[in-house]
Amino acid sequence: MKTMKRFHIVRREGVSLRRKCLYYVIAIFSALLLGALLLLTCGVNPLDYYAKVFTIGLSTARFPAKQVENFLNALVPLVLTSLALSVAYKMRFWNVGGEGQFLIGATAAAAIPLGLGSVGGTVPTLLLMAAAAMLASALWGGITAFFKVKFGTNETLLTLMLNYVALYFVSFLGETKGKWNFFLRTDSDRPIFASVFDTVAMPALRIGDFSLSLALPLTVLICVFLWFYLKKTKQGYEIAVIGDSPGTARYAGMKTGWIVVRTMLLSSALVGLAGFFKLMTSGSLSASITDNVGWTGVVVAWLSKLEPLGIVATSVLICVLRFGCSQASVNVSAVDSRFSDILQGVILFAVLAADFLLRFKIAKKEEAC
Amino acid sequence: MKKVLSLFLAVLMLTGVLALVSCGSGGAVDLTVGAVYIGSQTEPAGYTYAHANGIKKAIEALKKEGYNVKLLVRDNVPEEDAAVTEAIDALAGQGCELIFGISFGYLNAFSSAAEKPEYKDIVFSHATGYLSNETNFNNYFGRIYQARYLSGIAAGLKAKANGVKGQDNKYHIGYVSAYGTEYAETCSGINAFTLGVQAILGDEALVHVKTINTWGDPQKEKQAAEALINTYGCVVIGQHCDSAQPQIAAQNAGVFGCGYNSDMTESAKDAHLVAPIWNWDVYYKLAMKTVITDRTAFMEDVGNYYGGLKEGFVDISPVSKNCTSDTQDKVDAVRELIISGEWDVFSNVKLSFDADGKVVRTESALVTNEGKTVISADNSSYYVLNDAGEPVAVEGGASAVDSIIKGSMNYFVAGIEVEND
Repeated sequence: MKTMKRFHIVRREGVSLRRKCLYYVIAIFSALLLGALLLLTCGVNPLDYYAKVFTIGLSTARFPAKQVENFLNALVPLVLTSLALSVAYKMRFWNVGGEGQFLIGATAAAAIPLGLGSVGGTVPTLLLMAAAAMLASALWGGITAFFKVKFGTNETLLTLMLNYVALYFVSFLGETKGKWNFFLRTDSDRPIFASVFDTVAMPALRIGDFSLSLALPLTVLICVFLWFYLKKTKQGYEIAVIGDSPGTARYAGMKTGWIVVRTMLLSSALVGLAGFFKLMTSGSLSASITDNVGWTGVVVAWLSKLEPLGIVATSVLICVLRFGCSQASVNVSAVDSRFSDILQGVILFAVLAADFLLRFKIAKKEEAC
Repeated sequence: MKKVLSLFLAVLMLTGVLALVSCGSGGAVDLTVGAVYIGSQTEPAGYTYAHANGIKKAIEALKKEGYNVKLLVRDNVPEEDAAVTEAIDALAGQGCELIFGISFGYLNAFSSAAEKPEYKDIVFSHATGYLSNETNFNNYFGRIYQARYLSGIAAGLKAKANGVKGQDNKYHIGYVSAYGTEYAETCSGINAFTLGVQAILGDEALVHVKTINTWGDPQKEKQAAEALINTYGCVVIGQHCDSAQPQIAAQNAGVFGCGYNSDMTESAKDAHLVAPIWNWDVYYKLAMKTVITDRTAFMEDVGNYYGGLKEGFVDISPVSKNCTSDTQDKVDAVRELIISGEWDVFSNVKLSFDADGKVVRTESALVTNEGKTVISADNSSYYVLNDAGEPVAVEGGASAVDSIIKGSMNYFVAGIEVEND
């Protein structure tokens, strides 16, 4: 009789916080190291490069205030979208329709100043734009929840497909000249989106050269609100119960159908609001206005285990990487700004691997055969 | 665990050492130029490549004249105002004094950047756009239609020599275009090419246009060219799209073609005739040199740039071995007329050649393929079409004014047939 060694994956119990942190730090460092090797093969000094990335290019900038503004402008939509998506994920409702909801929100918001002009001054116009964005996105996302509850459709598929409907809708608006199409510049022979800045601008607090957009404090408020909502309210508890076990929720007498629809309305309305904020930094619509936050948001939400504070931290990290890589690429012609995508992918894999190693271990087991 | 850590540290140190090895520095810089690209600066061909290559050539040329120009690039910047603004801010922040944007959709962001007081000393230059200001913001583009007319002559000569006619006793020529009358750029290109063909074949030519609704998609470009060859029996394929696929399709079918953007003879050795090409470096050099010598004179000396054959900004690629023997002479004769300013493509004068190869000028109206007159035979009036397709009078000159060619042209001339799926 022979014995054979076999490898088994065994669940790990009671991992200390210290060990967790160590694993994640090693994961991120390994990813950066791999990136450094890649940079070296391109003939780029990785220390210089990373120095530029992690200081988001501030050290050499002539207009540092602008850098910080742009960084925050990129951060706000990502944080808000990730938070919004995480609300749906808590309920195990796979909303991968962030891109579409974002686009619809931005489009609805743009329709107000471009279609109606200024509606009784800046503040009413902005409020109306925000309301339009949230309402349109809520409906765009809510419909998928309605279909799931009513007909048992697959929400992943539905939200995913609606992304493309929204994308092509915006492309259509951007490419089709016509008297009805108030989204376009009227002075251009070639179709191009008009800017809402001619009508309305986001209030900002000026601190020297730096202007702080109102969108940032609002996002912080929403973040606090969501933390409170998910952790401390009955509705938040209902979401958690449905996420853990829909059967239990139903048994406990919760109206699960309505809760699913309600939560998705909230989730997509917030994505729509992110779309509105982004529109107020861009000025005009475009098919690429999302900056992929609808997709990146999914990654951020999962990397941070759906924890609001974790989402903010992860968003900052990813934004520093993306924004920093763009800044660094200005001075380095050998690697383009897409290097951040590689780095981001490697980090994601490394963190997932660390996650796996924290939850499981590979054990040897001798067996007779 | 320890093993993992020590390996990790070892690699970390190795990287550190290697990193310290690479270093570099340059001399005094006369000008720092920024460029915002829609594609990647490392692309081997295509639109971004054409501009990146032009800028590089201009910098090299200036180096020979003793000027040291430093280039900073932001690439893969989508046509999204926040992204473009961010790219401009980054370039301005690194000290750029002249910033180029190569894509039409950068319009809003470039025009608003130029108005910012902190950027008043930076010159913004936007390709294909139509906005500008009086101090530090211009647009630039070229009379590629002139080069297209010349390529049309080469195409017409080849079709005639080839001798294959359709059942309607006409020479069938194909043209794969990104768009049709929606864009003056594509529309004027198709018209100019057709008028060039007609200089040789007169009304015996029929140009079939197939639009693919994108500026570049190799698969669609190939399919469109194949459809033109197989369905309509086209013997020469012209194009206004990015890749060399239409030329390769022509070669595979044993017919001929005129490429675009760069000399495509390399891609289709047995099919390619000549290609209308851009020499972007001509403009880039002018713009850079003007900023170096006198930045305040930029809008006076360069202004909104619309260079043509005369400036060498557009041209055709060298006449290939596939062209007929008289192509060079005939193309040169017309080029001469255009460069001297005696004649331009969109006018009431049509060119043809007599038996000795001499250019003959005939006055006649320019008529659309729906029979509407858009330039009167006596050159007194110019028209574009309104929403209902009826001609409305516009400003004219010795030939169509630039605003028509760049902006409002929205008709196809007689002899063009649009093929829809």
